[in-house]
Amino acid sequence: MSSQAMSVNTVSRIAGARLRGGSLLEYVVVGVIVVLVVLFSIFIPGFATLGNLRVIASNSAALVILSCGMGMVIISRGLDLSLIATMVAGATIFSISIDAGWSWPVALGLTLLAVGAIGFVNGWLVAYVEISAMLATLASAMVITGLFRFGVLRGEYLLLLSKTNPAVAFFSSDILPGLAAPVALMIVAFVLTSILLRYTTAGRITYALGDNFQAARLTGLPVRTTTLMIYVYAAVMALLAGLVTSASSGTVDFRTVTNGTLLFEVILVVVLGGIPLRGGRGGMRNILIGAALIAVLRNGMTLVDLTTQTQDVLKGLVMIIAIATDNYFNPRDTETDTIGDL
Amino acid sequence: MLPIMTNRLPRVAAALTILASLVLCAGGARANSNIAGKKVIFVPISMGISLTEAWARGMKQHAAIYGYTVDIRDAHFNTGAMSELLAKAISDKPDVLVVHNPTVQLLARQIKQAESEGIKVLQINLQSNQPSTAFVGANWERIGREIAEDIVKECGAGSGKSGEVAIIPGQLTAADSVIMNEAAFKVFAAHPEIKVVSNQASNWEPEKARQITATVIQQHPNLCAIFGHWDVHTMGAGKAVKDAHLEDKIIVYATGGGDDKTCQAVEDKILDRVWSYDAAGQGRDAGTMIDILLQGGVAADHTMLKIESPMKIIKAGPTYDRNLCFKL
Repeated sequence: MSSQAMSVNTVSRIAGARLRGGSLLEYVVVGVIVVLVVLFSIFIPGFATLGNLRVIASNSAALVILSCGMGMVIISRGLDLSLIATMVAGATIFSISIDAGWSWPVALGLTLLAVGAIGFVNGWLVAYVEISAMLATLASAMVITGLFRFGVLRGEYLLLLSKTNPAVAFFSSDILPGLAAPVALMIVAFVLTSILLRYTTAGRITYALGDNFQAARLTGLPVRTTTLMIYVYAAVMALLAGLVTSASSGTVDFRTVTNGTLLFEVILVVVLGGIPLRGGRGGMRNILIGAALIAVLRNGMTLVDLTTQTQDVLKGLVMIIAIATDNYFNPRDTETDTIGDL
Repeated sequence: MLPIMTNRLPRVAAALTILASLVLCAGGARANSNIAGKKVIFVPISMGISLTEAWARGMKQHAAIYGYTVDIRDAHFNTGAMSELLAKAISDKPDVLVVHNPTVQLLARQIKQAESEGIKVLQINLQSNQPSTAFVGANWERIGREIAEDIVKECGAGSGKSGEVAIIPGQLTAADSVIMNEAAFKVFAAHPEIKVVSNQASNWEPEKARQITATVIQQHPNLCAIFGHWDVHTMGAGKAVKDAHLEDKIIVYATGGGDDKTCQAVEDKILDRVWSYDAAGQGRDAGTMIDILLQGGVAADHTMLKIESPMKIIKAGPTYDRNLCFKL
């Protein structure tokens, strides 16, 4: 057996062991979700209905798709702060291509190439130029936002999509009776990411990157190419989320990048679900748990008519408690200390 | 000679006194139409939206006629940056400062400071709690009241409908939302059959408005009307109504600058009734007001000069006309 295959096997056994054992935080979060669901079901009329569950799923589709991409990046001990900018940029390219008269397959292909290039540049900056992921992706977010707002949209913030836009038509429809297209896409993204992380070599290497980057590199694993693939995958997830969001609302809105809290919510989903920011642990189960808490909380707060400012305060408090709990249950040691890594 | 001059002197003095009391001569000086080279600074919440672009276009057209400059300081929806930009603008000592207030309180102190330093402040469309030399914009009390009255007519007693209404402000502390909500709730108070089931701000974002609406519709399937405080974010709400196939049951009200996308939304049944304050017309009004201010115009009693924007009500049906909307 080659040394690389042996390295992957060893890493795979360690990563598999870590995958199977859940962290204490995720059990706490699951408990909180159950309590919230019970309380909301009792005290909020209309919460415990199939229709409301469909609304929760539909409203959370973009968040879950983004979290799949961000989750993979964080597991590899990275961070992609350009995810929302890529999401909006991808939706912009697709919409402009459709408005220019190109067919949707050509428009989609062009858009995939463009966002793939964004992910490639992010991955290259992290893997080859060895800039910290946080700084590299923060810079690329600013470049993308400026380029698209001023270079492409000529200063506009909003691009209204025509009703003939195929994304609008597709995402307004049901794939199957009762299964909306955004929800179906969310399930596909979720299952695909789960398969990639659990059953592919690249997925195992992703865990190795987060667990101990130097060890992974020294044992001959293709850490750089895997890093490139991770950021490209995150960018593609961002594009899918962008198509879902823009088609649902009928607009591409660059203020989502500059003013919104979506990036914060994506990181919150990942961290709350039990994927530590230092990487190397967690999986799609954690994304599901984190997204479920945010979705249930958001839905309940909307149904009781709490103001959006109050909702943001509560979400911020939940984030602080989650990180503090995560630090308590996963204390830093010599092996896992990540000061300066992000 | 001397007796004739003595006879005429009181009449000349009386004529001068009358001239001096005219509105445009309040400072004791005659109106100065030579305003070339003067400086105007416009600080909007953000450029890149049809509202502020239409205003800027109107102001610049007037500036081109008279030869003064209009300099735009774009805050890009960043309220922190807006305070800093306004502080810098004040230090540049323009002749007129045009301010677009994101909330009723944020820039109040700086507006007062500018006025005390002799800079005339024109507030556009969104007022601050601090009065200034002039205001050009929509009468939010009238819009809130008229929309609420229409809602009562469509959803109130005798209509056979539930009376349930959802309100979607942009931000609860923005001037338009504060005033419209106050006016609307005053109307609804006299009609207990009207129930406001949701009043959540969307941060001016269509997607957030869509999500709020999708959730509210689910809980209140007999919802009668939605009142959105800006046509752009209300389109998200309208989309949610359409996705739920309730466009014939729920009336979506909005207010906005009335550009061609608003008319398109009405044609597509995303929005039903829009109270448009015609941003293009507001741009012209703002330009005219700046011309007057630069020529020395102030109110005789030094209160705030006001130009209220005329309304255009855009709704499908016999009154609909594409020309009600402007194109940038």
